[in-house]
Amino acid sequence: MGEIILQMKGIDKSFPGVHALDHVDFEVRKGEVHALMGENGAGKSTLMKVLTGIYTKDSGTITYEGREVEFSNPREAQKAGIVIVHQELNMMGHLTVAQNIFVGREMRKGIWIDDARMNAEARKLFEQLSIDIDPRETMSHLTVAKQQMCEIAKAISHEAKVIIFDEPTAALTDTEIEQLFKIIRDLRQRQYGIVYISHRMDEIKRITDRVSVMRDGQYIGTLISGECTKEDIINMMVGRVIYEEPKTQSHCPPDAPVVLRVEHLNAGNMVKDVSFELRKGEILGFAGLVGAGRTETVRALFGADPKDSGDIYIDGQKVEINSPKDAVKLGISYLSEDRKRFGIVLKKSITENSTLATLRSYTKNGFIDKRREEDVTDNYVKVLRTKTPSIDQLVMNLSGGNQQKVVIAKWLVNDSRIMIFDEPTRGIDVGAKQEIYELMSRLAEEEGKAIIMISSEMSEILRMSDRILVMCEGKKTAEFDISEATQEKIMDSATRDIDMQEAAR
Amino acid sequence: MKTALSEFKNLRLVKAMGFNRVVLIGVIILMYILFAILSPILHEGTNFVSYARVLSALNYGYFIGFMGLGVTFVIATGNIDFSIGPVMYTSALIAGYCMNSYGAPLWLSMILCILIGTVFGTIGGFFVSYLHLPSFITSMSLMLVAKGVGSIFTKTQAVSWPDLNSPNGWYRYMVRAGDVPTGLILLIAMAIICAIILNKTRAGRYMICIGANREAVRLSGVDTRRWEMLAFIISGTLAGIAALFYVGAYSTVQPGLGDTFNNEAIAACVMGGTSMAGGLASILGTVIGAFIVALMQEGILAMGFTISYQYVLTGLIVLGAVIADTLSRRRRN
Repeated sequence: MGEIILQMKGIDKSFPGVHALDHVDFEVRKGEVHALMGENGAGKSTLMKVLTGIYTKDSGTITYEGREVEFSNPREAQKAGIVIVHQELNMMGHLTVAQNIFVGREMRKGIWIDDARMNAEARKLFEQLSIDIDPRETMSHLTVAKQQMCEIAKAISHEAKVIIFDEPTAALTDTEIEQLFKIIRDLRQRQYGIVYISHRMDEIKRITDRVSVMRDGQYIGTLISGECTKEDIINMMVGRVIYEEPKTQSHCPPDAPVVLRVEHLNAGNMVKDVSFELRKGEILGFAGLVGAGRTETVRALFGADPKDSGDIYIDGQKVEINSPKDAVKLGISYLSEDRKRFGIVLKKSITENSTLATLRSYTKNGFIDKRREEDVTDNYVKVLRTKTPSIDQLVMNLSGGNQQKVVIAKWLVNDSRIMIFDEPTRGIDVGAKQEIYELMSRLAEEEGKAIIMISSEMSEILRMSDRILVMCEGKKTAEFDISEATQEKIMDSATRDIDMQEAAR
Repeated sequence: MKTALSEFKNLRLVKAMGFNRVVLIGVIILMYILFAILSPILHEGTNFVSYARVLSALNYGYFIGFMGLGVTFVIATGNIDFSIGPVMYTSALIAGYCMNSYGAPLWLSMILCILIGTVFGTIGGFFVSYLHLPSFITSMSLMLVAKGVGSIFTKTQAVSWPDLNSPNGWYRYMVRAGDVPTGLILLIAMAIICAIILNKTRAGRYMICIGANREAVRLSGVDTRRWEMLAFIISGTLAGIAALFYVGAYSTVQPGLGDTFNNEAIAACVMGGTSMAGGLASILGTVIGAFIVALMQEGILAMGFTISYQYVLTGLIVLGAVIADTLSRRRRN
């Protein structure tokens, strides 16, 4: 490990209703891989966004190469040599690899773009990294792993000195992860400062030198990766909140009736022949890596996207679902992973959002019965303990957890029997997360709601589910009762294509 | 100074109307004073301060106001309708031609006039909501179609609706009866109806929510297409009604024109605080905006400038309003 190249001190940042960063310290040395850990919503991404100028900090200092800096946009940060390799890759699929790498600084010959030179330069970069990619290939033809490598090459071509990896292995297979690690080790050798954000404990031990932990927007501490145990890190991450034990047994009675049955559902490339059953009062966890087709499956089921084939039965009766309207009528609700885009109307009030799915029953001759509408909203604000000064508050002024409660209220007003929670605690702080968990358990166990829960967090899956369905590349690869499920079994099924499994047999 | 402003913003009336609307009323008063002072200087012998001038400005405000009310619904859903001006003209042309050349009775022509607007609105709405075409291009195309259809139908002749003294002239009382500005009363009545639809009914709630986040509304089990299309139907119908107020004020319609009016109607909306991004609409703002447009038109003519100056000013005002809207949204983020 070399000298300190980047130091952040006392970084503070607030959003309406959320203290996202509370005087956070963080540093990176040359030639080290520094892990940044914390649960979802702990503030890791926010910290990196402050660093690269996407957000402006409220207070604190950033020292980079001995000088105090403040970048006003990611471009400036990039120019100075700080680059993020994003979780969601920002590539233009229809351009070639080389064109993507040199986007915004195309090499020219007169007024023409000099593709030949860009291809040659890109090839040199790949050779440095010993990656085998043809610079002339169209970006969208590459696997996610290779696209990511292009991002890394792009970062290096920008003469980056600090490279931030944001959950780089989320969508990679085991062999691809090995390749990535090789590149990262190589970069470390060449004295790059590397920030590594990940949730995967085993990776932290394998690839990183130090690990800094954040919780609830606060900096908790830094450990040497080689000298600490997994438990040390987990204890720092969860802190005072008791680390919840996984469920050991299904809470759903074995004789509970099947409410929903899906048979041979197909939709586009992401949903291939998916079948499953869901019982009354049961929480069925959908596990898998990002991009495994879980969201696509439930969207097709809900009628949000067209399906190619497959049958859906509710209470044993075959039903037709061609639009969300059909699904809602049948008592199905969908709580999207992307609340802001698909779940709520940010610019409208809690009341307006709460009755969005049921406005018809709060309408008389076309006119909205304001009184009843406010009564029901008020009721659910109390029941769900939504923190808000009034029901007229615009939803955009609420915190993530409270926004989620508004979405839940919307579907409870509709009296949905089947509720699909897609990443229900994404972007929600730890305390509110606990509340959402308790609420979901109550809905299943006391009110008999049948719940599908998609989650990419293993601890969430193991803690909440009565039964677990695992998907990989659009297919269902396994199904476990909670009593027999382990983290290893789930991970194994989530990373292995079913065809390969069959071939191996 | 700052506290005085915030105190003013917190007055009950100001809160109920919206600060933006109060500012606009101030703008109307300032404009009036400005024109009253400048017009005798720039254009000798003109007296801007007269009841006749007020009535003349109002005449221009009515049809712009009706169109503006309609297009407010479309803009609320996050769309735009550039066809309403030519649609208004074409409605007046075809209905008037039927009356003059085919002997259709006045009442029938009036109904026909409104229905032609409805038909255009329905067609545009269908393309945008059910076929997911961008409203910008769809309404631009329909604007051309409307222009052409009107010209073809009337064989490129101007059409005059009956004047006040002819047996069929009674419809003109809708605009003005003696010195009473009846059009103002009718426009306000229509504005109240529109405000009720927008703020108190399911249709209005859905339209605004669609403008704010279409996908979230759809995923809540709402058939967004129906409500989006309804906004266009309302817009077209109100353009048809606007046509009656246009001929009521000016009697003659020329084929192949009308596209400047939709800009002015949209200008009225945007000035009034209806967000071009959708999800935020003010009926009161649109009405006030329409009268600003009308007063400006009157003032510019009174000062002896040509109508071209009005186009420049309208353009700049719309630009200013959009900048204000965009900046305030950015600040909120």
